[in-house]
Amino acid sequence: MDLYDLRNEFDKSGIMMCFNGPFSHSIIEETGKAMRNHLVAENIAQAAVLDVFAVYIELAQNVRNYITVRAISPLEAMSSIIAIARQGEKYAVSSGNMVLNSDGETLLTRVNEVNSMTPEEQKRQYRELLRRDTAPGALGAGLGFLEISKRTSEKLVCSLRRVDDTYSFFTLTASI
Amino acid sequence: MEPIDIQQTPSTPLIKFDPVTSTLCIRGESYPENSFDFFEPVIAWLKAALTERTEILLDIAITYMNSSSTKCTFDIIDILEEAFERGVKASIIWRYDRENPRSYEMAEDFREEVTFPFEIEAIEV
Repeated sequence: MDLYDLRNEFDKSGIMMCFNGPFSHSIIEETGKAMRNHLVAENIAQAAVLDVFAVYIELAQNVRNYITVRAISPLEAMSSIIAIARQGEKYAVSSGNMVLNSDGETLLTRVNEVNSMTPEEQKRQYRELLRRDTAPGALGAGLGFLEISKRTSEKLVCSLRRVDDTYSFFTLTASI
Repeated sequence: MEPIDIQQTPSTPLIKFDPVTSTLCIRGESYPENSFDFFEPVIAWLKAALTERTEILLDIAITYMNSSSTKCTFDIIDILEEAFERGVKASIIWRYDRENPRSYEMAEDFREEVTFPFEIEAIEV
């Protein structure tokens, strides 16, 4: 296996680190630690390091929670990806994973909704969600996209590619 | 009632209660695999403790927490507010690092939710 072409693709996209495969909590933790060390070594402000890290954690845990809640098969879970890229002065964190076709549409709608809100509206909704009781068995509080948006300077970018009759591949990118 | 004592890990904070000073101390970072499972015993313990105690200080210094931990922290603060309304002397000291403005912003947002004393203090390095 020659990884040179793959490596070139990474270079072209500015990808510093990438993990592909089923995420476990310990992989999320270790990859996050490596990423933070890398960013600290680049001498960027501590606040920016934490923002990149926070976005990474929300994206990675979103993917993992989705796979758990929807009981996505191990084969499809294998295609989960998280990547951190340097793009000029910014860092882009992206996650990609298989979602059920119907969930894909819901996700796009939610991302567009978050993008269309003003910071004040986002803050208000964040508070409403904090006050709401969490559904039994839920793994998140529904705050993920708002949390990511709070820490980014640009709109969230997402795409959905239909893979077959059951699955689509959902990608979400946030730039810090 | 046994005081709560949870050791710190990279993704979960130290949570420790000192019965002498009636202080619940939370330190570290919080992004557990499952925040609701992690905080559930803490919340259960706190509710029970507040039926016995007339005073409690939450001393919190968290560098980073994920969104579901933020939700759990909100629930903890909400329990303190309810206790305060019943006459328990509840208070919070929220310690933040000056290099980390998000922690300060979060403290300010939480402070707006409560009517009891809520101090925000910079950690002196």
